[in-house]
Order: sequence, then structure tokens, then C-alpha cells
Amino acid sequence: MPDKPIEGEKRVFMTGNEVVAWAALVAGADIMYGYPITPQNEIMHYWTRLAPKFGREFLQTEDELSAGFTTIGGVLAGRKAFTATAGPGNTLMQEPMSMAEAMRLPTVVVIQQRGGPSTATVIYSQQEVTMTTLGGNGEGLRIVYSTANHQELFDYTIKAFNTAWKYRFPTFVLGDGYQAKMRESLTIYDPASRGIELVEAEPFLGKPGVPGVDRPPTQLRNTYNVEEELYEVLEGYFKDYEKIAPEVAEHEAFGLEDADLVVVSHGVVSRACKAAVKELREGGIKVGYFRPITLRPLPVDAIRETASKARQFLVVESANGQLARLLKEVAYGCPVEMLSLFKPGVGITAEDVVSRVKEIAG
Amino acid sequence: MAKAVKILLAGEGGQGVQSVAEIIAEAANEEGREALYIPNFGVEQRGGVSIAYLQIGDEPIGAPKFQIGDIVIALSDRAVHRTRQYVGPQTLFVYDSSIEGIEDALPTQAKRILPIPAIEVSNNELHPRVFNIVIMGAVIKATGVISVEEAKRAIEKKLGYKFEKNPRLRELNFRALERGMELVAQAI
Repeated sequence: MPDKPIEGEKRVFMTGNEVVAWAALVAGADIMYGYPITPQNEIMHYWTRLAPKFGREFLQTEDELSAGFTTIGGVLAGRKAFTATAGPGNTLMQEPMSMAEAMRLPTVVVIQQRGGPSTATVIYSQQEVTMTTLGGNGEGLRIVYSTANHQELFDYTIKAFNTAWKYRFPTFVLGDGYQAKMRESLTIYDPASRGIELVEAEPFLGKPGVPGVDRPPTQLRNTYNVEEELYEVLEGYFKDYEKIAPEVAEHEAFGLEDADLVVVSHGVVSRACKAAVKELREGGIKVGYFRPITLRPLPVDAIRETASKARQFLVVESANGQLARLLKEVAYGCPVEMLSLFKPGVGITAEDVVSRVKEIAG
Repeated sequence: MAKAVKILLAGEGGQGVQSVAEIIAEAANEEGREALYIPNFGVEQRGGVSIAYLQIGDEPIGAPKFQIGDIVIALSDRAVHRTRQYVGPQTLFVYDSSIEGIEDALPTQAKRILPIPAIEVSNNELHPRVFNIVIMGAVIKATGVISVEEAKRAIEKKLGYKFEKNPRLRELNFRALERGMELVAQAI
């Protein structure tokens, strides 16, 4: 059995779903649990082809509830476990992931967003932002990376496992149907060759020694008898989350120094926004580009600073304001005017963004 | 810096538009250029018009899909109807000259409309199965996105295992590529 899935690095040309399977392999994922749904199916397909060559496992479950709960089971046993889903599958996934929040379990879930609500389209959208960041009956104690290209899909899938196991919050990689199905180039690599250290997994249950004597007892709860007890636990979680948020939050920006209007987007749409802002700036129109990479936690300080300097935000997304709502909460009290280009469930091109900016500029 | 070339290929299932787009994208990637290819996909398992969106450039590609193509190629009656929306004043619109009854459906706003006898040539001169390679030749002649040598290398990479068994297939495919290029050269 070959030792490492990738030696050194190599440039490849493949679909995003294949990228995710490779990234999970090199990140040391032990097992994938999954239930088929378009457009993430090929993550499972590629994983089931690759995994046996490297001693990894796969289990197909009867639905996404089960895929989520078995992922939790894998994690409890000390295995790096992950699943992938989309759309209505993501809806079902919220129940197990809220349990992962309650128990602070390092589950990793890859979402390839499709159109909504309900079955809608199997193609593409950015309409699973609210659900992925804040879904379930909880408080959004999770980490969400929104990727824009295949290189990031690879980089952040590796990172998701590390973030999850380091901080012990459920972690999501938020892609979409376009990223899932398109082919473009990227460099895949052995994380060690880039100095990336993989965080070790360890079992939550069945640790050696007598609980309370040799080691503190493991207490994993998602049920509480009294309100105060729950409150106390959650207060602790919020403190932990607030502490790690600035370390975890990431963003990308340019052209902010002289911009009246800043184009804000995330994920695949930011590719169009980046091209549009570059073109507009070359044409002498002073616009800026801002993109949160983590949608949960958001890069709060950077957003507030930008929202204090710029006069207008143009929020661009393939949803009806799901990113905009998150931004408005963070930028509350900043004098920035919020403008929008929303195309729910439909792709957005650089031409769309350029013409909207010109329309605003008058 | 020049913008990426946007190519849209549309046809019936089995005409091979997806494999053409994929081979060209991989060849461009091999040449060190930026390439992005995405198929359309939906809930239907068969029966829809198959569309491939392909972009090739020198800088990272923006949005995966586009609204107006630089070159739009329609290979069936339904594909002509379906692809009109991707045609703008700068678009070269290519369609197979054997498609009948679509005169009224041809886009009126295209920069240029180019009928080519790709189906006829592949059926009569070559072999129906290399139709998609004829189209590939037409695309690279019309756009110049990859060199002929790289196109041949890409075909070799894709079909090399078949050529091993039957070297005449290599000749047939390369001939198809050249014929596709000639068809566009003649029409222009």
C-alpha cells in the first residue's frame, strides 16, 4: 500500500468534487460517510475509488441524517470523519450537526450548494449560507469556509480538518455546484511538503485509564435537566468561540484605500467581482473588493473598518440577501449604505457586476 | 491583458460536445494556459440539449459560466434554438449546414454566421464517430486557443490506448482534426 497519496506536489486539471476527495485523503481523513445527492455525488465516487488504496474507509448510509450521525460516531471513536451533501441533504444534516455543536465535535462537512428552496435545481446557488452558518436549533457554534476556486477547495478542505480538531467546533467547507462540476487547474500537494502539520485525531470515548482516577471523566452531553446548567455550558462555549474567532476569521481585499463603493461577495461569485473591480479600476472608477473567506466567524474587525471608511457596499450573491444579512449584523452602526445585486440560484458574471456598479455611479 | 476566449458548444447527447470541450481544456492546461470547462447539468438523465461552457485565457478565469460567447457552436436543430441567447454582436456563430428548417431561428445579431458541413464530411469522408474531432478542429481554427500539435497530443492522451490496438484510428482522428480546421478556413 502506497504510503502517501501525493509525493511532493503536482499540477492537475480536475473537477472540484475530485479535488475534495484528494484533499480529504492528504488531510488524513480516515472515513467518509455519505448519501448521494447532486451536485456532490462525485466526492463519494472519487473517495470510494481512492480510499481503499490508502487504507481508508467509506460507508453509505440510508440518508443524510444518518450520514451526519455516523460522522459523529466516527469522530467519537477518534477518527477523522467527514461527509458531503447539498440542498435538501444539508437541511437534514443540520440535526446531527447541532448535536456536534452541543458536544463540540470536530466533524467536517463539505457542502456543494444547489438551488433552493426544496429540490429546486441540482445545479448551483449560494442559498445555503444561512443554513450552513446558523442552521439547526443552536447558536451557530461552527466554522464555515467559503471557497472560490479549486486551489482553495483543496487548501481549505485540508485546513477544515485541522481547524475542526484544533478548536473542536464542527467545520464546513462551503462550495457550490459550479465548483463541484467545473474543471480547472490547481496544484495538489502533500501538506508536509508545505510545512503544514496535520492536527492529530484522538478518541473522545474509550480512552485508557479509570475515569475520575487516572484522567478526568469524558462528559459529552446534548441533554440538560436544568436551564442554568445549559446556560453555564453555553456561556463557556461562547467564550471559547469569541476567543478563537479572530484567529480563525479570514478575508481577502484590495482597492479599499480610495474606494467609495466596495463590492462584497463570497465564494465562486467573488471571481466575477474580482474581475469586475479590476476592470473598473483600470477604467478609473474607484471601487474596492472585499470577500470574507470565513462566513462563520466573519472577519468582524475588517468588515467594520471597511464599512466605516466606504460610503457604499454593493453586496453581490447568488441568493436573495443571505450574505447581506450577515454583513448588516456585523456592520450595525456603521454609516455604510447597503446596495445589492442578488440573483438567487443563478450565476453572476463580471459583466453583471460592472453594469450594476455603473448604474449606481450614474 | 486580453480577456479569456469564451466558447460554447451545444448539441445532442452522443455528439460529443462535452468530450471536445474537455479535450481542448486539458490541452490548453497542458500548454500552461488558464482553462475552465463546465458542462450544463440538470435533473434529466437524457433528452436535453448538451451544452459545454469553455473559457481559455492567460489569467485566472472569472465566473464559470458566461452570457455571451466569442464563439458559439450549435450542432443540432434544438441546439440552434437553445444557443441564440449566447450570441452577441461580437460572436462567431457556427452551425452544421445539414441542419434543416432553422433559417428563421439563426441569430440575427451575430458578428458572423458560419455554416460548416461537419456532419457530411465526417459521415462521407471519414467516419461518423470522429464527428466531434472534426468539431474540435473547427474550434481551434476559429479561436486559436491551442496549437495543432497540442491538440494532437491531447487526442493521443485521451485515445492513445485505442490507437495502440489500431494505429489507423490515429490517422483517422488526426485527419478529422485537420478537416475540421479546413472547413473553417474555407468558410472564412
